[in-house]
Amino acid sequence: MLACLCTVLWHLPAVPALNRTGDPGPGPSIQKTYDLTRYLEHQLRSLAGTYRLPQFPPSAALLLATEPCLGVLLNYLGPPFNEPDFNPPRLGAETLPRATVNLEVWRSLNDKLRLTQNYEAYSHLLCYLRGLNRQAATAELRRSLAHFCTSLQGLLGSIAGVMAALGYPLPQPLPGTEPTWAPGPAHSDFLQKMDDFWLLKELQTWLWRSAKDFNRLKKKMQPPAAAVTLHLEAHGF
Amino acid sequence: MLALQIWLVKALLIFLTTESIGELLDPCGHIDPESPIIQRGSNFTAVCVLKEKCMDYFHVNANYIIWKTNHLTVPKEQYTVINRTAASVTFTNLVSPNLQLTCNILTFGQIEQNVYGITVLSGFPPEKPKNLNCIVNEGRKMMCQWDPGRETYLETNFTLKSEWATEKFDDCKTKPDTPNSCLVDYSPVYFVNIEVWVEAENALGNITSDHINFDPIDKVKPNPPRNLSVSNSEELSSILKLSWINPSINSVIRLKYNILYRTKDASTWSQIPPEDTASTRSSFTVQDLKPFTEYVFRVRCMKEDGKGFWSDWSEDASGITYEDRPSKAPSFWYRINPSHSHGYRSVQLIWKTLPPFEANGKILDYEVTLTRWKSYLKNYTVNDTKLTVNLTNDRYTATLTARNIVGKSDASILTIPAYDFQATHPVTDLKAFPKDNMLWVEWTAPSKSVKKYILEWCVLSDKSPCIPDWQQEDGTVHRTYLRGKLMESKCYLITVTPVYTNGPGSPESTKAYLKQAPPSKGPTVRTKKVGKNEAVLEWDQLPVDVQNGFIRNYTIFYRTIIGNETAVNVDSSHTEYTLSSLTSDTLYMVRMTAYTDEGGKDGPEFTFTTPKFAQGEIEAIVVPVCLAFLLTTLLGVLFCFNKRDLIKKHIWPNVPDPSKSHIAQWSPHTPPRHNFNSKDQMYSDGNFTDVSVVEIEANDKKPFPEDLKSLDLFKKEKISTEGHSSGIGGSSCMSSSRPSISSSDENESTQNTSSTVQYSTVVHSGYRHQVPSVQVFSRSESTQPLLDSEERPEDLQLVDNVDSSDGILPRQQYFKQNCNQPETCPDISHFERSKQVSAGNEEDFMRLKQQQISNQNSQSCGSGQMKMFQEVSAADAFGPGTEGQVERFETVGIEAAIDEGMPKSYLPQTVRQGGYMPQ
Repeated sequence: MLACLCTVLWHLPAVPALNRTGDPGPGPSIQKTYDLTRYLEHQLRSLAGTYRLPQFPPSAALLLATEPCLGVLLNYLGPPFNEPDFNPPRLGAETLPRATVNLEVWRSLNDKLRLTQNYEAYSHLLCYLRGLNRQAATAELRRSLAHFCTSLQGLLGSIAGVMAALGYPLPQPLPGTEPTWAPGPAHSDFLQKMDDFWLLKELQTWLWRSAKDFNRLKKKMQPPAAAVTLHLEAHGF
Repeated sequence: MLALQIWLVKALLIFLTTESIGELLDPCGHIDPESPIIQRGSNFTAVCVLKEKCMDYFHVNANYIIWKTNHLTVPKEQYTVINRTAASVTFTNLVSPNLQLTCNILTFGQIEQNVYGITVLSGFPPEKPKNLNCIVNEGRKMMCQWDPGRETYLETNFTLKSEWATEKFDDCKTKPDTPNSCLVDYSPVYFVNIEVWVEAENALGNITSDHINFDPIDKVKPNPPRNLSVSNSEELSSILKLSWINPSINSVIRLKYNILYRTKDASTWSQIPPEDTASTRSSFTVQDLKPFTEYVFRVRCMKEDGKGFWSDWSEDASGITYEDRPSKAPSFWYRINPSHSHGYRSVQLIWKTLPPFEANGKILDYEVTLTRWKSYLKNYTVNDTKLTVNLTNDRYTATLTARNIVGKSDASILTIPAYDFQATHPVTDLKAFPKDNMLWVEWTAPSKSVKKYILEWCVLSDKSPCIPDWQQEDGTVHRTYLRGKLMESKCYLITVTPVYTNGPGSPESTKAYLKQAPPSKGPTVRTKKVGKNEAVLEWDQLPVDVQNGFIRNYTIFYRTIIGNETAVNVDSSHTEYTLSSLTSDTLYMVRMTAYTDEGGKDGPEFTFTTPKFAQGEIEAIVVPVCLAFLLTTLLGVLFCFNKRDLIKKHIWPNVPDPSKSHIAQWSPHTPPRHNFNSKDQMYSDGNFTDVSVVEIEANDKKPFPEDLKSLDLFKKEKISTEGHSSGIGGSSCMSSSRPSISSSDENESTQNTSSTVQYSTVVHSGYRHQVPSVQVFSRSESTQPLLDSEERPEDLQLVDNVDSSDGILPRQQYFKQNCNQPETCPDISHFERSKQVSAGNEEDFMRLKQQQISNQNSQSCGSGQMKMFQEVSAADAFGPGTEGQVERFETVGIEAAIDEGMPKSYLPQTVRQGGYMPQ
């Protein structure tokens, strides 16, 4: 028995699950990605300058009646977009990835699909956001948007890192579908602002959804570590 | 001529120089390398290559090259001629940071021409930057710092590089003045790991630091919590609730906190246990605080997991805890006013305001209750801290409580004893001493159980009265410090009174200083007495106001004008000192220093002069000298007086007065007179021829029985001459009354031999005084021998005559001739003294005696001696002569009896020792 224990202890460093310092696995990066989504959400709120949005959805329900962000960005858009009750119809924002999804569908998503959707959504949103930044009038807003873009870039990197850690391939960007923000003749100024409004709203919804996604992933990642520990204990005695 | 030559040389030189410069504008050659930078301490070689054209022009080659560094010629050993046009120089271990190297050629006439010059820089390649670390101040850009390593002495660029796994960021280039830190240009993105490193580069190389990879959120320094506020609770006086607003980063990270607090007056902070504040919060309740106390708080935060940096402290916020009932009874004491009348005492009750930590709130008023014996007397509500009441001489009990908005304190109970109460049991070993800038008092508790102690103190001063301050201590305390504003250099009189259940005990006092200082004035010394060799100095004790400490000792400094100063230490209890061994007739300067424990202070200088002579010295010399002089004079006078006869003889000799001459008696038969001296001879020669003279000594005593024979012989002799004398007729008695006396005393006198018949003429006195103006010729009609009475005048006469030749005391000498031992004649000396007393005039004395004797009616002329004479005088005074006679005879008899063994009286001596008969 003692010899067995000694053997186990001898091989202990070799157990990959225990050697967390060497390869922490996807857990920490999932946690970090989760924190980042919260941070981005906070950043967006700061950018909008309002607390009208609740901190977090009280339940697992993703479909939330969100209120449009106010503050710097919406003030920039001007009335009626900065009014609290403004809830325009989703018109010319068809190209924006939709965050809202049926709860059952969301629950049924596997990890790979979930992460892929996130990655793709943020890739698109980032492109739109960069276009918005280019049009920003004030330097202050431009700097805030630039930082937000950088952070969103970081989120993309984090998601890519998690996918890499979990062994999923990154989705290939579709050539030719790179969205542009060139003001077309079809877009009136109001419709343009409507697009901007929906961009911010979709971004916020996606951040909420991602937080939920990564929270779910995080919870899924924890049991194996506990199992390893339990397994080791059983093995030891 | 000479001037012209010099001018020509100058002109030529200028021409040649101009020519050379024109040529040198196109350099004669060059140095390779052009602008070298080398590592310090390494070797360096430079090559100078000359142009052919130049070589031809100056007629030189590479051998003519001279190297100079900073205008100093490089030794030839370092040169190497490579070929005709090129030469090199090599420096080993080059350490100079900046070297000016020139290549020169030595042209004709030893003139050096500069060909080319370069600057050689030396330094070090950059070291690998170490300890790279970054900090993210919340809401601001990230700043990274590192240790750049050793000084390179060269321009070195540091570049901070950062990248994500997917993206590179812009480089951050350091400013020259801060080569060890860089503020990146972008706001870091939290929760995304970033990799950061530093690249250092200069002319000698470049190097990269270790890469660090971190999440910027782990390097964050949050902003401090804002709007810190403090609120109290009416329910609990020991708590305060803090509230604050967290920094905005709290929305993405969890925080932990440090909370510090202190009372308003304290200087040090206390910390809430960190484990109580280890999680995100925006309020905290601090417990176990003191009631009604103002506290100051501050708070800071950092990331909950401890990664990152603590924020700065928030702004201080203060709050006051709610009030509580006073936790302690006030100190309570009383003073009885000295005036006492009509059986009442005016008593002032005094108490101390409670310190804030015991008052626990604002004291609204005090309640005093007075009880006489056990009957309730009166209640007072006072806002002040004293109350004056009139009490009878009985014993009282006073109680005191303090009240605030919450409640009352416990009661202080004080017993005011009856008027005739005798305090006892004082504290012992009372000591007071300064320590740590406080005045501590220490005592030994009395044997009796003490309720509390009252300490009173006041400044002792001559100028102001003692206004005591006081404090109360518990009965268990035996060491405390005075809680009051004490001044330095002031004498404090401290009194400790133990208080027992039945009243106060005896007070004990001591004196102390908080801090001593040298006296502010020195003692004024003066002389009390100045002697020839000593001086008594005295001084007054310094007044307590200038002492500034306990006077430990005095030092007296004294000196003469030229001499060294002498110092004498004197104990502080003295106020007098005697300086001894001083020089007489000298000016002395003396001053005095009084010392406390902290130093001394000189008093004013006092000057005195020692006298030339000690007191009484002059008298001691003058008086003996005068006395000696007087004595000498006196002795001289005495001598002269005593030798006056001799002097007289020499100066004015005796000249017999013929008018006084007479023939007293002629005697055919002259008895042998062997005993007569030359004077008598002379006398007889001068005055009488063949005259028999019988001198009768007045002092002669009555004969003693043993001498009777000789007397008898004498009688027989007289009898034999009776016929002759009777022939002349007339009594030879001294007095005219003598015959009658003789006759009346005849029967009685027969037993004595004192009465004799006068046979011959008695010559009474000398010529000189001529006293005996009456020549007496007496003839005894009695046959009784009246020798003694008859003899005496004769003797006196004789002695008178003898005196002149026998010195100062002739009579004495006469007797002395008859005395074997001089000391056996005390009465003689007495007689002698009597004689001296009688103004030195024996003749007068004799006359007086004779007169006295003659005045005695019943005098038998038997006692001519002084003693007898005195006795007779006494007898005369007392009563009739017969009585005196009887008495005299008795005396004589007694004397005779006594003189058997002790020759006390001179009469028996005279007779016994021969008298004149054997002579």
